[in-house]
Amino acid sequence: MALGSLDPVTTARVVLILALLAGALFFTFVSMVGVIRLPDVYARAHTASQADTLGAGFGLAAVALTLGWQGASVKTAILLFFIFVTNPTAAHAVARAAFEDGNVPWTEGDERR
Amino acid sequence: MAPVANGRVVVPIEDTATLRATVAHVAAAAADGDVSAIHFVYLASWRDDDPRIDDRRTTAQDLLADAADWARYDLEDADVSENGIEIETALIAEDVYLFGPRQYAERLHTYADEHGIGTVVLDPEYTPVGNTTLLQPMEFELASTPLSVREAPVDRPSRRERLVSEITGPRFATVFGGSLAFYLVLGDPTYPFDLVTGVATALVVAISLSQVSLDHDPTLRESPLRLVRGLIYVPSLLLEILKSNVVVARVILSPSLPIDPTMTRMRVLVGSGLPVTTLANSITLTPGTLTVRARDADLYVHTLIPWAREGLFDGGLERWTRFVFYGREAARLPTPRERDDCAVLQGPDADEPMPFAATDGGPELDTHHESDEDRAPDTAAEAAPTAPGHHEDGDRR
Repeated sequence: MALGSLDPVTTARVVLILALLAGALFFTFVSMVGVIRLPDVYARAHTASQADTLGAGFGLAAVALTLGWQGASVKTAILLFFIFVTNPTAAHAVARAAFEDGNVPWTEGDERR
Repeated sequence: MAPVANGRVVVPIEDTATLRATVAHVAAAAADGDVSAIHFVYLASWRDDDPRIDDRRTTAQDLLADAADWARYDLEDADVSENGIEIETALIAEDVYLFGPRQYAERLHTYADEHGIGTVVLDPEYTPVGNTTLLQPMEFELASTPLSVREAPVDRPSRRERLVSEITGPRFATVFGGSLAFYLVLGDPTYPFDLVTGVATALVVAISLSQVSLDHDPTLRESPLRLVRGLIYVPSLLLEILKSNVVVARVILSPSLPIDPTMTRMRVLVGSGLPVTTLANSITLTPGTLTVRARDADLYVHTLIPWAREGLFDGGLERWTRFVFYGREAARLPTPRERDDCAVLQGPDADEPMPFAATDGGPELDTHHESDEDRAPDTAAEAAPTAPGHHEDGDRR
């Protein structure tokens, strides 16, 4: 079915869903590039959490919008809430373990590791 | 009670089931002539410029007055003239948020020094943070001061009495209600099977976790307000996350990769437990800043780019956290930069050296919340990579 044959509200919704999906893909992609390009565990932890916050965030928002007003969208919102609680905890756990291990953060001018 | 160093004792108090018995024990020792001065102190868990703390202050002062009255009554009962025995009360530590047992011990020591006191008598149920086991780590910390410590030999409530008092408390009700509501959102509230299993599940959760997940009783006035303010905070946090995500994405995708990562330290003005956890997690959620370590009120934050560092030192998230937990008036405060509460730890402009548990086990650096780490600061660092779960205790408070 072509977009043009839908009523304006549905069209707007489809466009919004597509935009959210594009955002989700973009931030997940950025996160992946960051993990490869950044120099050390701390810097990578910054960007790895991007995939969770906005990547998963936009993705789940697109899911909720697709499902519309029903029970499952509420569960999507709850899912998002848990991601936002667990993501910083996990990032902190990784960084803290590295710090406790005496891992000195990379700074300007250091060799790439 | 065995003779006390110089006959002067300090008793930190809190509203516990064994407080009355502890007071009686100290009064009996005084009646026997072992104790010549009794100081009851209450260590405040708030700061004096928090809004709306009058109730908590009044409660603390009432409790102090009660303890003093009980002691006088007991002395009278024992036909001892109270004139010879000094009974004082004090509400202390209102100028800081107290974090770990070390700070509690420090404050007690300072007070004891100022008043020429040589002994601390501890109520066996004394747990000022409201959580389970502060007493032991506190005894451990007090052991490093010249004070002598003794625990009042009083009968503690049995498991059964304890359970009864727990399951009638507001903490239990809150956790039970919360888990039941969550269960029914996932299930179907109109289906009897879900209702029954929901109640059973929520009971198990509340019995096992109510004392762990909440460190003090929620109140009808303050807690709903906090919840509402928390809901106001969420959209602004999301906006903040979105902004930093875009900025960090640009940095990562630009070919020259213009990053300038450094470790920083920021002393934050929020209470221990949930407030500091909320702040630390909000900082981590925002790309560009990552909380690496929390040592009492000091957050060690890794920053990826100068923009994120400036934002961190401007204290926006700290103000929001204070707004959520203490109200709008508390959010008006100087930024960490203005308070001189932040420092860069790396690079040519470093303000102070990096603190490493692995290379420096100095006591001032190892101020963990966890008692097990307090006992073994040197092994804590080595244990981290193999047992990361072991170190996560601090996050849940």
